[in-house]
Amino acid sequence: MAKKVLVVDDSVFMRDIIKDIFAAGGFTVIGEAGNGVEAVEKFKELKPDLVTMDLVMPYRNGIDATREILRTDNKALVVMCSALGQETMVMEAIEAGAVDFIVKPPRAEDVLAVVKKVLGEA
Amino acid sequence: MLFRLEKDRYALPLSAIREVIVAPDTWTRVPRAPRAVRGVINLRGRVVPVVDLRELLDVPGAPTSTPGRVVLLDRGRRELGLLISDVDGIESIEKVGPPAPKASLAVKGLARLGALPVTVLDPDALDATVARAFTTK
Amino acid sequence: MAGASWDTSRYLSLFAGEASEHLEALGKDVVRLEQGATVALVDSMFRHAHSVKGMASSMAFEATAKLAHRLEDLLDTLRADVAKVNQAVADVILQTVDALSAHVKAATQSQPLPDSTALVVRLSELNAGLKGVPPPPVSAPPPPPVPEAAAPPAASPSGVVAVDAAAPPRFALKLKINPASNQPGVRGFLAYKRLTTLGNVFELKPPLDDIKAGRVPQGAVTLELETDQSEESITRTMRTVADVELESIGLVQRAPPPPPPGAEADRVVGQEPARTIRVRTELMDQFLDHAGELLLATARVRQIARGMPEALRPPLDESVDRLHLLVKGLHDKVMQARMTPLALITDRLPRAARDIARRRSRDVELVITGEDIELDRAIVDELADPVLHLLRNAIDHGVEPAEVRKAAGKPPKGKVALSVTRQRDRVVLELSDDGRGIDVERLKVLVVERGLMTPEQVRGLSERETLMLVCLPGLSTATDVTDISGRGVGMDAVKRVVEAVGGSLEIETRAGRGTTFRLAVPLTVAMVNLLLVGVGDEVYGLPIGKVSGVVETARGRLALSQSAPVLQWGQSVLPVHELSSLLEVPAGPASAVASPFVVVDSDEGRVALAVDRLLGQEEVVLKALARPLDLVPGLAGVTILGNGRPVFILDVARLVTA
Repeated sequence: MAKKVLVVDDSVFMRDIIKDIFAAGGFTVIGEAGNGVEAVEKFKELKPDLVTMDLVMPYRNGIDATREILRTDNKALVVMCSALGQETMVMEAIEAGAVDFIVKPPRAEDVLAVVKKVLGEA
Repeated sequence: MLFRLEKDRYALPLSAIREVIVAPDTWTRVPRAPRAVRGVINLRGRVVPVVDLRELLDVPGAPTSTPGRVVLLDRGRRELGLLISDVDGIESIEKVGPPAPKASLAVKGLARLGALPVTVLDPDALDATVARAFTTK
Repeated sequence: MAGASWDTSRYLSLFAGEASEHLEALGKDVVRLEQGATVALVDSMFRHAHSVKGMASSMAFEATAKLAHRLEDLLDTLRADVAKVNQAVADVILQTVDALSAHVKAATQSQPLPDSTALVVRLSELNAGLKGVPPPPVSAPPPPPVPEAAAPPAASPSGVVAVDAAAPPRFALKLKINPASNQPGVRGFLAYKRLTTLGNVFELKPPLDDIKAGRVPQGAVTLELETDQSEESITRTMRTVADVELESIGLVQRAPPPPPPGAEADRVVGQEPARTIRVRTELMDQFLDHAGELLLATARVRQIARGMPEALRPPLDESVDRLHLLVKGLHDKVMQARMTPLALITDRLPRAARDIARRRSRDVELVITGEDIELDRAIVDELADPVLHLLRNAIDHGVEPAEVRKAAGKPPKGKVALSVTRQRDRVVLELSDDGRGIDVERLKVLVVERGLMTPEQVRGLSERETLMLVCLPGLSTATDVTDISGRGVGMDAVKRVVEAVGGSLEIETRAGRGTTFRLAVPLTVAMVNLLLVGVGDEVYGLPIGKVSGVVETARGRLALSQSAPVLQWGQSVLPVHELSSLLEVPAGPASAVASPFVVVDSDEGRVALAVDRLLGQEEVVLKALARPLDLVPGLAGVTILGNGRPVFILDVARLVTA
């Protein structure tokens, strides 16, 4: 069965790119969120197998949202989406419990390789 | 430091000189070198090129006869040897006037020591003159 | 696939719409700034700029992304201290927002992006001024500083190592971070964090701070993991980390009973494979210079001893022998200390290959093998540019676009391989591609067209010599040649560097199948084996590597070709050059009976050098030529023989042409 993914990014544009990558890679995107607050709500509601999480977002940033999600479910798999130059924030997110990261602009093969590894499919 | 090329008197700033040695009898020739280059010497394991100052400055007359002296100019991590006739001594020179009109670029100017004219040389310009001789040969 | 993995045009209108929204909101925020800057307001501006940067870079609008990035940096600084916001700053922000809007508009209409270099610089300067630091260069930021002193061994997390019988088993792990991965430092940190979920990590090398900063030589990380988990479960966990490979895992032998307190340092030494210190390369150069001069001085003492009365000889000779052994040992150790793995330069190649391929829209796989082979540091440094250059050439001009490859029945993904092998006292670097190969016929035509050679000369060339034409300065700098011949730019520089370190360059090509560049370089710079020859009163050294053989024959018996003497050499006839006239030194009286001719490989092909005497073979310490001697064409270096005499070493390759 196709794995379910929640895509979190404040940019619709970026979400579309990531969604297309997942669709082409055989995943089901079951939901999307545009900020950290929404992300936590959607996570509780949809119970995805994996979350991709933007770092910089309004209301609640990706690191706080990741922390909150892991408080809800300590087995949750959260993969950070970061830009070059955000190494310190990514490491903070990993400290907070994120399992991996992808670098924007996202490249299909990188994203799928990371996600498959995280899900233990590769 | 004052020195002579045959009868003419020259001077170089003492600070530019590392040492003065007696010129060797035999030289290793430098292939494809300008005429002024006399050869290289082995100075305690370092290979130092030596130029005949008379030829470099285009002073008329026969090449400097050996045995003469070699003045070793301090050029940082390397040395440049100048073949001269003999060293006269150390004097301080107060005032350096303009060089003679047709003098080499390596000449800084003319000074007077008592009644005698002394040609004062510029070590940096000497070095550059040697390099130029190699490239324009 | 290199380049964007999706059709960006599909996203163009979405990009334009969303980017405009962000910029509009950003513009409104700037106006609100005038009523008072709050952290929340600047934070919101920062996010808008950040979003625009991310989108622009996804669409490969690099100039837009750069401008947005600088704005983001500035806002990041202001976020930390909103009191720094003033009218002048607000003006620059507004100006940038306008410029970004212009970029988005141009992009939507498929127009070239406006030039915003001045604004980028302005933003950098402003940001630096606000932070109170000098502005960074507009290009790439400098790498993080490398600490001068040796990094201390990794501290165990708790600082206390409790070794008791009940302690869980300890595994030694070797990890390798893929150097082409994004942010290898973060990758390493991720792997570390993942392992800490299984147990306690000890003996982490490099230390965590170095890993986080991306200072991981060759991507290699070693550590010990104390855990109750099975080896299989560790392996499984590591498999979930992308771009980090578990190279080896094994149980650590239990250390001997814990030493008494205070003896901890000793125990640590016992566990460390090797301790290292950092030494400035300049100092290493001086060590080598001095060790070399000691060797020369020893040879000189030996020479003097030969002139001593017979009675004194045995103890003197014995002492000199002992001295020589010690000095030789010292010299070898210094040479050994200078050895550096080629990984120092190959580590950055995967990334470079990816960037070049992306720029040229090529799909290329780079495979590197043998990068752990060590060479003298000076040679490794020299090779950095040539290797990168050959790689660029291979991707730019060797590998064809995917469509062309498919049409030719090749896999669409091009393959470039760099293999490093050790062959006796040489290291051979082979860079090969499976691209279109060099068009040899076209090359010949071009050489003639450019007046670099006559048609007759070109006809006389062997295939190997023809290929070497790509290294002709007049040819390889001509850009139009590049695309036609499949090779070009700067090959003369590559050849010059390789030969300057005493190496050689070979080229092989097969039309439509690819090209291989083979660089053979010596392991070390300093020692060179010479054939000593006499000309008149002078002695010269010819590097043995360049000497093909020696023939003795009377000068009068040489055949003539167009009134120039030639030497019969196997099946071929070689031009003869008098070494004395090449070097402009007086020759000795010619022997009527037999004179030696040394056959050497020059840039002009094989030639025979007429000399007066052969003086034997000697291994010497090569000294570099200092100004002005380095200006003499045809000299490779100088050495001092045992008798104290300076002897020039000839640059055989260029002797005839220079």
